[in-house]
Amino acid sequence: MKQHLGYKRATALIAALLIILCAVSLLWILYPEGRNHPGQYAADIFQNGTLIMSIPLTEDNASESFLVEGENGCVNEISIRSGSIGVISADCPDQLCVRQGFIRDSRLPVVCLPNRLVIQLRPLSDTAGDNALPDAVAY
Amino acid sequence: MFVRKISLLALFTTLSLAVYAIESAVPPLVPIPGLKLGLANIVTLVLLRHFTARDALLVLSARILLCALLFGQALSLLYSLAGGLFSLLVMALVIKLLREHMLFLTGAMGGLSHNMGQFLIAWILTAGGVLPYLPFLVLSGILTGLFTGLCAGFLGKYLSSFLKK
Repeated sequence: MKQHLGYKRATALIAALLIILCAVSLLWILYPEGRNHPGQYAADIFQNGTLIMSIPLTEDNASESFLVEGENGCVNEISIRSGSIGVISADCPDQLCVRQGFIRDSRLPVVCLPNRLVIQLRPLSDTAGDNALPDAVAY
Repeated sequence: MFVRKISLLALFTTLSLAVYAIESAVPPLVPIPGLKLGLANIVTLVLLRHFTARDALLVLSARILLCALLFGQALSLLYSLAGGLFSLLVMALVIKLLREHMLFLTGAMGGLSHNMGQFLIAWILTAGGVLPYLPFLVLSGILTGLFTGLCAGFLGKYLSSFLKK
């Protein structure tokens, strides 16, 4: 039976699957519908998936920075500048969270995987914690 | 034959380790966790194509454990294992399905499943916080997988006479 299926058909199926996945991802990246609200945001800081801090970001925020410590000794230094938030230093080897820079909208969160830290912005009008699993609920 | 096989597999393990080390020394171009070329996948593909899935599994697990020992943290071992083993499983199935034709498609499926395995771990550890990265990981997995698959295909052409003896 399997012999009859033929590799050509399997090839076509797999190629189609890959192309569809590429197209869907591209659309998802290019049209972040509902993920880019204009206006003001609050920053929710999650560690191990639980909300540990919630800071409203307004244009007149004085720039300030603070440390967040993870359970396995990782430390991230988070800084707030007018309307944006980012990680300015971390003791993990890859420094990806630092390189993600400062964010000012809710398109992409800042993520530090070694420290299991996620900084996600949500519109100020939403209540805190609402955003913990936004897409899992929406999709 | 047996000695020859052991030496060859050891050689391939060393090769993949070296490739991995070189790749991790290059700073990431895009600040998205998990985005990289995955050049070590070339070795896995060549092994799947010219040896058996069991040999590929041996070399892959040896590489992952050695990498974690040499460069990694405890957590990166978890990510590597999830991505590596899942992608090996998928590639072993796909390469059978395609009768070893079109190696780049096998590579693309491998790259995709590697990223999906890692994404799943990150998803569990951050309770869904990494979801916006999913489309980037899908795209990069497929594209880098195509690339490593093509490399493995070309490499196989040059290696086949050497490996058959």
